[in-house]
Amino acid sequence: MNSFTRYIVDFAYFLKTSNRYQKRRRFFFNVLENDEYYYKKYFDIFMMLLIFSSVSTLIYGVKNDVPEALDAFNSYIISFIFFVEYIFRLWISSSVSKVIIHQDEYSDLLGRDFDMVFVIKRVFHDKLQYVLSPKAIIDFLAIMPFFHELRLLRVFILFRVFKLFRYTRSFQTFSSVLVSKRFEFFTLGMFASIVIFVSSVLIYMMEATNPASPIDTLYEAFYWSIVTISTVGYGDVVAVSPEGQFVAILVIFSGIAVLAFTTSLFVSAFTEKIEDIKESKTIQDIMKLNQIYLICGYENIAKEVAKKLLRDNLNVVVIDSLPERIENAKRDSLNALHYNPGSMESYKKLNINLSTQVKAILCLQEDDVANVYTALTVRSIDKDVKIMSLLMNKVHRNKLTNSGVNEILYDKEFVGLIAREYVGQPVAFEAIYTIRSEYTNIIMHEIVVTERISQTISTLKELQNVKYRVVLLGLYKKKNKRFFFNPIESTLLETGDYLLVIGNYMFIKEFAKFLSTK
Amino acid sequence: MNISSALVFGNNEYGQEIAKNVTHKYSSITIFSLEDIDKDDNSAFKLEQFDLSEDWDELNEQYDMDSSIIFCAINEEAKNIFLTISLRSSFKDITIIALAKNNEDANKLKMAGASKVIPIVETTANIITDMLKKPIITEVLHNILYEESRLKIIQVTLSSVDAFTGLYPAEIDWSKKYGVLVLTIVHEDDSHEFIYSSKTKHNYLKSGDVLIVAGYEEDLQNFKHSIGGE
Repeated sequence: MNSFTRYIVDFAYFLKTSNRYQKRRRFFFNVLENDEYYYKKYFDIFMMLLIFSSVSTLIYGVKNDVPEALDAFNSYIISFIFFVEYIFRLWISSSVSKVIIHQDEYSDLLGRDFDMVFVIKRVFHDKLQYVLSPKAIIDFLAIMPFFHELRLLRVFILFRVFKLFRYTRSFQTFSSVLVSKRFEFFTLGMFASIVIFVSSVLIYMMEATNPASPIDTLYEAFYWSIVTISTVGYGDVVAVSPEGQFVAILVIFSGIAVLAFTTSLFVSAFTEKIEDIKESKTIQDIMKLNQIYLICGYENIAKEVAKKLLRDNLNVVVIDSLPERIENAKRDSLNALHYNPGSMESYKKLNINLSTQVKAILCLQEDDVANVYTALTVRSIDKDVKIMSLLMNKVHRNKLTNSGVNEILYDKEFVGLIAREYVGQPVAFEAIYTIRSEYTNIIMHEIVVTERISQTISTLKELQNVKYRVVLLGLYKKKNKRFFFNPIESTLLETGDYLLVIGNYMFIKEFAKFLSTK
Repeated sequence: MNISSALVFGNNEYGQEIAKNVTHKYSSITIFSLEDIDKDDNSAFKLEQFDLSEDWDELNEQYDMDSSIIFCAINEEAKNIFLTISLRSSFKDITIIALAKNNEDANKLKMAGASKVIPIVETTANIITDMLKKPIITEVLHNILYEESRLKIIQVTLSSVDAFTGLYPAEIDWSKKYGVLVLTIVHEDDSHEFIYSSKTKHNYLKSGDVLIVAGYEEDLQNFKHSIGGE
């Protein structure tokens, strides 16, 4: 390996290991290509504004004098911005350093010399493949108005409109739907082309020699054929001879068939894709959420839990392997996906970070086997996410614990405990039940002591909860995870502690507001 | 034969859990099963078989029904409702606690004469959402209500209100004076009033009112003694 080649390979490794370079490259990739990147939408909107401004100037300039500054902005500045974008897209389209490193490793492995020619060819091939892609061609044509002195090139401003395809997802969806039916559209196109070609030639043969006919040239015959087959029928060019009119009848019938076929193709393409489109929209919505409660399985208890969480405007996502349950969840205004909760693939498709975006995973399938399987799947993806699971049969408790469930919810045990409390102190039980019930104005609430609160209120004496008609049940000390019932007034408040209060929800709201704004 | 008994109908997991949790309160616990009883069944409780067409008056011969409680926990809703209505027609005053799958069945069970209905789905969902939304309160209440804790919530019936003459309940510093917190007041008509509600602010306590009080066991005992409560 000569010193030049060595330098190139070293430089490629340097780029690969340089955090700064990779960070920048990733940033530009996100801004230009990653639909999930938060700031991409702002870039897209900016580019769309440039396109609209450019086209508006072109339209205005048809019958008016465009101010010189605006013309310069349109021709130079916008073109320059598009040029820079083009270069960045070319840069991120493929990695040169990756090709060099791959070739170096390959050469080392086989004990061969580093093949610089192969690298150049490979890089050239990758870049050319990008340059010749439809989107890149549109990008390139959109830069052309830079040479606006060439009058013809001004028309290329219109190509900027096609750039909108890059920045709006609905256009991309539309084109992907049409691509899925490309074979059918191709067949239809071939049929229409043959009919147009044959009818154009026929009508030309039958009408061109007739002095009374407006069809004199093959171009006029072609124009007539297109207007007729599309069922538009302007009537400016018509067949006058009986033979020509017979051809017109055939073309009209063919036109109806083509139109009906085209319409049905569009409809069937969208019908087939509509579920995919809806799913991808749901995933996009879910990806933006934080503090998600992911409910696996949408049966009786899950429905109630989801309803209650939704009532408090919390983010709930439901996945279930049965389509009818997912339909129910959608009818209940939930983000729901027909995914198997026990499959790793489901969580990949969801594309959310279980550690940072998910508050808890609730395995609420009324089947212990399914819940154990789901819990194990989730735990194999993320070790820390909180998992709560229903237990249907107590003999399976250990299995749920061993599969990594943090909280086991055994409804029979709940019933037993409630029965115990009820037979012990029925009036107290009813009172607590009433306080906890969501249908009364009296609620139990926990107020977290923020840094701001602890800075302004140092002891419980300064709380003034009685003034706000709020009962302070106790203080939960985060530091030692202990609950202090009815604590003495001199107890210190520390950041992270919880005040457990009971009162009318309006008064509690006022009290919490007073604490945080004092 | 003045023995307090718990009669649990439904030999299933719900019935077993209920029986397990009320043993401290009742000296005799019997689980009634609709299915044939397996002789090898090692249940910790007395098992008896029954069918829905039985003459329930016969229970009077075996149990002191005035000091007993009935739990209807059959898995099939229709049978559970039928059982509840049959038992209520035989025993007008007994406490019947019935399990319902959901709120819809809970209403039917109430109409059938159940004194208290536990809707399983709603109750479980409530507990789950409370655990998610208010984990600390849920844990604290769970410990107070269900676990062995010195902290209790009790009901105290006022036999005399001499200690509170001229004072509205909200004006009394219960915490400083007795070391307890009064949460609600239950009037004779069973209506619950929060201690700081507007109504409580303008009404004196009456004898016969029930105070729902939270506190440590010893403070609660002292409180009961000092106000002469029951």
